[in-house]
Amino acid sequence: MKRTFLGEFEEIVLLTVAILGEEAYGVTVTQELEQKTGRSVGFSTVHTTLQRLEEKGFLASQMGGATAERGGRRKRFFTVTAAGRKALVEVKQVREELWGALPPQTLQLMGG
Amino acid sequence: MQHTPPRWVRTLLRWWADPNTSEEVEGDLLELYNYWVGTFGQRSANWKYTLNALKLLRPFAKDKRSQYPTTYLYSPTMLRNYFKIAWRNLVAGKGISFINITGLAIGMAGTCLIALWLQNEVSFDTFHTNKDRIYQVYGLAANVDGEAYAIPVTSQPLGPTLKKEYPEVEAFARVKGTNSFLITANDKSISGVEGNIVDPDFFQLFSFPLLQGGEMKQLVHPNSIVITEKLAKKLFGTKEVLNKTVKIDASDNFTVTGVLKDLPSNTDFHFEYLLPWDYLKKRGDGSINESWLSNNTPTYLLLKPNTNVAAFDAKIKDLTRRYAGRNDVWTHFVFPLDRWHLYDEFKNGQSVGGRIDMVRMFGLIAAFILLIACINFMNLSTARSEKRAKEVGIRKAVGAGKGLLVGQFMMEAFMTAGIAGVLALLIVQLALPSFNTLINTELIIPYSNVSYWVWVLAFLVFTSLLAGSYPAFYLSSFNPIGIFKKQFKKSQAAVSPRKLLVVTQFTFAILLIISTLVVRNQIQHAQNRAMGYSKNNLIHVPFVGDIDKNYALLKQELLRSGSAASVTKTMNRLTESGSRTWGLRWAGEAPKDTNTALTLFSADADFVKTAGLQLVEGRDIDITKYPTDSFSVLLNETAVKLMGFQNPIGQLLFSKSGKTQWRVVGVVKDYLTGSPYEEIPPTVIEGPGAWFNTMHIKLNPNRPTADNLATAEQIFKKFNAAYPFDYQFIDQEYASQFENEQRLKTLSGLFAVLAIFISCLGLFGLASFVAEQRTKEIGIRKVLGASVPNLWGLLSKEFIGLVMVSLVIASPVAYYFANGWLQQYSYRTEISLWVFVFTAILAVGITLLTVSYQAMKAAMVNPVKSLKSE
Repeated sequence: MKRTFLGEFEEIVLLTVAILGEEAYGVTVTQELEQKTGRSVGFSTVHTTLQRLEEKGFLASQMGGATAERGGRRKRFFTVTAAGRKALVEVKQVREELWGALPPQTLQLMGG
Repeated sequence: MQHTPPRWVRTLLRWWADPNTSEEVEGDLLELYNYWVGTFGQRSANWKYTLNALKLLRPFAKDKRSQYPTTYLYSPTMLRNYFKIAWRNLVAGKGISFINITGLAIGMAGTCLIALWLQNEVSFDTFHTNKDRIYQVYGLAANVDGEAYAIPVTSQPLGPTLKKEYPEVEAFARVKGTNSFLITANDKSISGVEGNIVDPDFFQLFSFPLLQGGEMKQLVHPNSIVITEKLAKKLFGTKEVLNKTVKIDASDNFTVTGVLKDLPSNTDFHFEYLLPWDYLKKRGDGSINESWLSNNTPTYLLLKPNTNVAAFDAKIKDLTRRYAGRNDVWTHFVFPLDRWHLYDEFKNGQSVGGRIDMVRMFGLIAAFILLIACINFMNLSTARSEKRAKEVGIRKAVGAGKGLLVGQFMMEAFMTAGIAGVLALLIVQLALPSFNTLINTELIIPYSNVSYWVWVLAFLVFTSLLAGSYPAFYLSSFNPIGIFKKQFKKSQAAVSPRKLLVVTQFTFAILLIISTLVVRNQIQHAQNRAMGYSKNNLIHVPFVGDIDKNYALLKQELLRSGSAASVTKTMNRLTESGSRTWGLRWAGEAPKDTNTALTLFSADADFVKTAGLQLVEGRDIDITKYPTDSFSVLLNETAVKLMGFQNPIGQLLFSKSGKTQWRVVGVVKDYLTGSPYEEIPPTVIEGPGAWFNTMHIKLNPNRPTADNLATAEQIFKKFNAAYPFDYQFIDQEYASQFENEQRLKTLSGLFAVLAIFISCLGLFGLASFVAEQRTKEIGIRKVLGASVPNLWGLLSKEFIGLVMVSLVIASPVAYYFANGWLQQYSYRTEISLWVFVFTAILAVGITLLTVSYQAMKAAMVNPVKSLKSE
């Protein structure tokens, strides 16, 4: 089976795009990530990741929604593609399988 | 509020960020920057902005969009591709390309020649600087029937009076033409040169280009002569002739004050020298006529700028009436320069056209010739459509839009037209000298003129569009699915556009053929007309210098030397239409008849013998035998009929006032005076009481003409030493009266041949396609027993049908126009049925010849081969 390469940050970004739905573009994704994870996320990093995800086919994008605030420039709105959803589901399954395989005492040790 | 990040960072970003995402990146960063300013303050925001921007620089990123550009019709790549494909198609179909290019080249060359000519026609006299303000004064009179007619000449006092009385007139010039002056310089004499005697302001009106000389305006003063380069070279052998002396009639000296460039071909003025008006007074030979009632000189006016011409017309209308003190004479109007050449015909006093009709007709012919050539291209391109349908299908399937295909087919048209255009220029260059001889002008191709090349280019583009747009849209409209499903069928419409186009071509070609035949018939009809006099061995010598004075001696010597069979002196040449007169009276006259114009002629003696007229009754005028013959007259038969004389000999004619009377001594058979196309008018030949201008000499038919002329020349030298011996053969002059019609015949014949040739080229191509398409059908027919003639008929039938349709359309149209053209001649031929029969045979014959080659070729193919193919 073809493995889905999805790095950790990529996974979070992809998830965030999914969460934001129709409002996902560079700025909202960056701000959402900062709020949700509490860590300082560079816009450049988010942008590069979004680009990479699009190249991999997990995201699709379209231009639109120019505002004066942006100097009349359009936003690039991202949506998760079918392949993106599949990748997220797969990652989640792998995690759940792994969690499920964890011996109960170890789980307790970890305070869970 | 809106904050702006550091400018240098923005610039950096604009230059070196990834071009594929720069728009949203710049936008996102700007949005974030504002957010950061609000949250962390300006400094921090600047820092963050810079850091992020720097991280996003991708100086080596390729613009991915440019790798997949939208197919743009006129991108260089596409153009190169169009060019390549067009070239391949040209080379692939060599036969078709040859037909296309030849047809187009010939058509374009024909059109170009006509265009050059027409351009010259419409540019007549437009080179004068003041052309918008120059007018010619016309008279407007009514004849006895009350019909108005325009008079292009005026009385001599009119010009100066206009200038004196009307502030609108800036300058005037009267122009009197002559060719009877003897011009001498350095003992070299020339006669018969056209010259004009003009008023001093001539050059204020007309700006003929000057080669040498000072201020234009001062060229014409009492002792000056202005000559053209050509005359300067003839007289002096050089054009450096300023201030040299020229003698007129061996007695009057003039100084050359200006040398003009030879007159351009587009002017209605014809002169080689200009003399001052005052010289006419000085000569005192009766050329000056101060009467207001004698119209004899064209008068031209230069009006001041912004003159209201209609108002001016109204003011000068009754000028002659006022000055002559009579109300029964003509009125006046002015006629603008831009209408002189093209609208010189008047009917009932109104300008009704003239050469403009010819310009329009040949413009139409040019357009049709071009159309015929373009139709070839259209037909052959669409005929090939089945061959190219697959190509179109594949192109469409891989993404070519309609626009791209149109572009490609247009490129093919442009390329064909371009090659044809170069060829056409070559043909024009080669054909121009003969064309110039044909239409008797001096056209040149203005190679150095930028606007000429612009026109050439525009013409090429126009031709390409005309020829290429229909096939381009037709071919590019194919539906690819239809093509590949093999459902592609040529249109089954009852009248396919292709047939319509062929009919158009042949209709026009047939029109031209019929016109040519009618013109030819008319010329022959007139040439075969009985002239009533014998034109062979007959010369005429105009009275110049001492001829008039020494006439009796001359005649005696000529007869004695044996060079002349008989000699007579007359008022006009036999080929001239002569003077006209009204108002002669006779016994038993009817008022209507006395108002009919009579043609006047005169003779001293031996006229009947010299001209070879046929005497019906009575005797010839002979002043040497009958001293009373000064007032004897001969009548022609028409005149006798008009006057109603039962017994004409001895009848008397009276002048209007009754002071003079003539006695009829003879009646001659009708003979032509002037144009061979006109009815023979009633003619009165007066005895020596009238005046004489010229002499006719019947050369001795028993001696070689050259000897006769040599002897005659010596005799003339003796009695008229100052002048060279100038003579004209009457038969040559007579022949020259057919020149206009001959020219028309040659031109329409030429273009008929062109039209037929180009049409047949197209037909040849079409026939080859039809034959190719039906290869299999023919094979099967042959197998089933069809003979070669059968198949030949089958393939030719369709085209013959088209030509027949063209005949049916063209014949009535041609009849209508030819009949209209013939109406201008009083003596005209009938349009016989044979013209149409002959044209039909000719057209069908040519078509058969053209089509048969292909038809026979297809019919002769061994069916084994044709059925095996593919």
